[in-house]
Amino acid sequence: MPQHQAKRLALSQRQAALILLLPFMVVYGLFLVYPFFNGVWISLHDWNLMAVAFNPDAKAFVGLQNYERVMWGRNITWGAFASPALQVIGLLGMLASFLLYRSGRAGRVTAIAMGLAALLLFVLPGFHPGEGGRWYDRRFWPTVGNTILFVGLAVPGVTITAMLLAAALNGETRAKAVLRTLFFLSQVLSVTVVTLIWQIMFSPRQGLLANVTELLGGSPIVWLTAEGFAMAAIVIATIWWSLGIAMILFLAGLQDISQDLYEAGALDNATGAKAFWYITLPNLKRTITVVVVLQIILHFQVFGQSHLMTNGGPNDTTQVLVRYIYQTAFRDSELGRASAMAVFLFVIMGAFSILQFVLGREKDE
Amino acid sequence: MSGVTLSNVTKKYGQVQVIHGLDLQIEDGEFCVFVGPSGCGKSTLMRMVAGLEETTAGQITIGARDVTRLDPSQRGVAMVFQTYALYPHMNVAENMGFGLRMNGVPKDEITAKVAEAARILKLEPLLDRKPKALSGGQRQRVAIGRTIVRGPEVFLFDEPLSNLDAELRVDMRVEIATLHKQLGATMIYVTHDQVEAMTLADKIVVLRDGRIEQVGAPLDLYRDPDNRFVAGFIGSPAMNFLAGHITDGQLSIPALPDAPTLPLRLPTDRTKIDFGIRPEHLRIDPAGAGFRLHLVEKLGGTSYAHLHAPTGERLIVAEDGESDLSDDMDVGITFDPKRAFLFDTKSGMRLR
Repeated sequence: MPQHQAKRLALSQRQAALILLLPFMVVYGLFLVYPFFNGVWISLHDWNLMAVAFNPDAKAFVGLQNYERVMWGRNITWGAFASPALQVIGLLGMLASFLLYRSGRAGRVTAIAMGLAALLLFVLPGFHPGEGGRWYDRRFWPTVGNTILFVGLAVPGVTITAMLLAAALNGETRAKAVLRTLFFLSQVLSVTVVTLIWQIMFSPRQGLLANVTELLGGSPIVWLTAEGFAMAAIVIATIWWSLGIAMILFLAGLQDISQDLYEAGALDNATGAKAFWYITLPNLKRTITVVVVLQIILHFQVFGQSHLMTNGGPNDTTQVLVRYIYQTAFRDSELGRASAMAVFLFVIMGAFSILQFVLGREKDE
Repeated sequence: MSGVTLSNVTKKYGQVQVIHGLDLQIEDGEFCVFVGPSGCGKSTLMRMVAGLEETTAGQITIGARDVTRLDPSQRGVAMVFQTYALYPHMNVAENMGFGLRMNGVPKDEITAKVAEAARILKLEPLLDRKPKALSGGQRQRVAIGRTIVRGPEVFLFDEPLSNLDAELRVDMRVEIATLHKQLGATMIYVTHDQVEAMTLADKIVVLRDGRIEQVGAPLDLYRDPDNRFVAGFIGSPAMNFLAGHITDGQLSIPALPDAPTLPLRLPTDRTKIDFGIRPEHLRIDPAGAGFRLHLVEKLGGTSYAHLHAPTGERLIVAEDGESDLSDDMDVGITFDPKRAFLFDTKSGMRLR
């Protein structure tokens, strides 16, 4: 095209970029950025959902009081061994990250991230109500604990299962292709369907698990209402549900590993499990990081499984953060306090997003 | 150290047979090169020796051991891959020591062997680096180092130089030749580059379509090819061929007006033949006629003159020094009939 003609039609690169970005920016701003800041704003108010709906002036600025009401208590003290098990693990974690860094087995960013996590594990469980004190909100921290427990069980569960499945199904036979599809299929189901399926599975009367237990001569477990099992039940359903994406990511990672390496391994006497440990696993490190962090971010937002399968019970053992936020906001109408909790959740997830960003950019030293 | 014997070795992928019952004896300490065009089965054959491909039928022995059904790691072979296949997450020292580590060799022994191999290959300053931080030539050396550390009975090289640039290729070729002298081990080397084959080999095995065309020392193949394929494959530039036929014991080659008298017994029945002569055995006769000089490539030390015969066939003549010929001249050619070959067009076999 002659230049003078092109000039008339052409936009500068910057203009073109702006125009192309505009639709996204508008939607993003309207439905994400604005609500986010609005949420932060609400969290600084005493804001009753019903009252404000009828009378916009029925809110009062209270500063950080909501945060205090949710996270703090009367006469809270800190003790190095208030919650010995967790805190000792925290201490060991700090020591381990230091040693790993010193011996060169962990990169700097990894070591710092691990050390920080361990430090938090040491510091946070140390807070407890002192003599005559109490938490303002007795359910908040146990709920956070449940959420972390859920994440702590679901993420390794999904990651390890997905990795083993991917390793087993990585190949070109038809059977493997069919199985890959089958295992991925659960991913496309909605949480309602998933929980329904698993409620049936776990049912002590006609459930598959109960039938198997009875066949083996045991008495069936009442999964969803037994305190020790409810969380496990939710985690199992979640693993089954969110296996697909992780498996696909691992399959992509596996296909990135050159077949030559396995042939070199075969000559070096590294086959089977040895090959998996010494060749596959180290080369999947990046994929594992991505999967783990994505799963952490995803599973901190768990809601449906707990809400639909156990209603947070029994005895609050499966009450999770998002469900608590939901109840506080829409059952108790305490929008201010719920927003404060939401901001807390945002900080946790934001931290993991940053971690993923940093790890993603970290080069192999 | 020990030799390798293949007897009636066959490879089939499903119904497709790619190696057709080969017999081959590689002596202890010999440098044997498998050469041939792509798809001739040379890599497959080497991978069968390594155990990376299953042998469908026949027997492979290394030394006195029948290794046909053994795992790759138990055969006493080590291999340099075309892509080097270095473990990307291990540094150079770990890469070289990995095989020993997997076989439960004590740590200090591994360190000593890695250090020795690093010394031979001048890799000492690189031992802590990851493969990513190495140049192509360095990676190649690490891959070779990995095989040395293993101390195998047989070294296998699968087109090891094909990923290097031309200059480095020449250097590495010399290094591999030196290494063979130093170690005196049996080596099998796969390449499609006949120059590599000629310069490195004690014994060349020319393969085509899963069959051995000829086995012999490089110069024997050059001087005395058994068939048209070997004659055309060995030597650079390739041998010139002119079509002709024999009628009533009389040789006639349309491109050459006066048919040469060759010192061999011609068949009496009518046969189509290919007349072969190497570019370096042809001379240009500026006074002669019949061939049009199409192009002269002047390389300094040698010149390659590309000629067009009246029949449309093409010839290359290699001349020493800087040729003073110019394009589009009409010239003739001369040669020593003793240097010429005749091949049966149909079977490709040489007429002797």
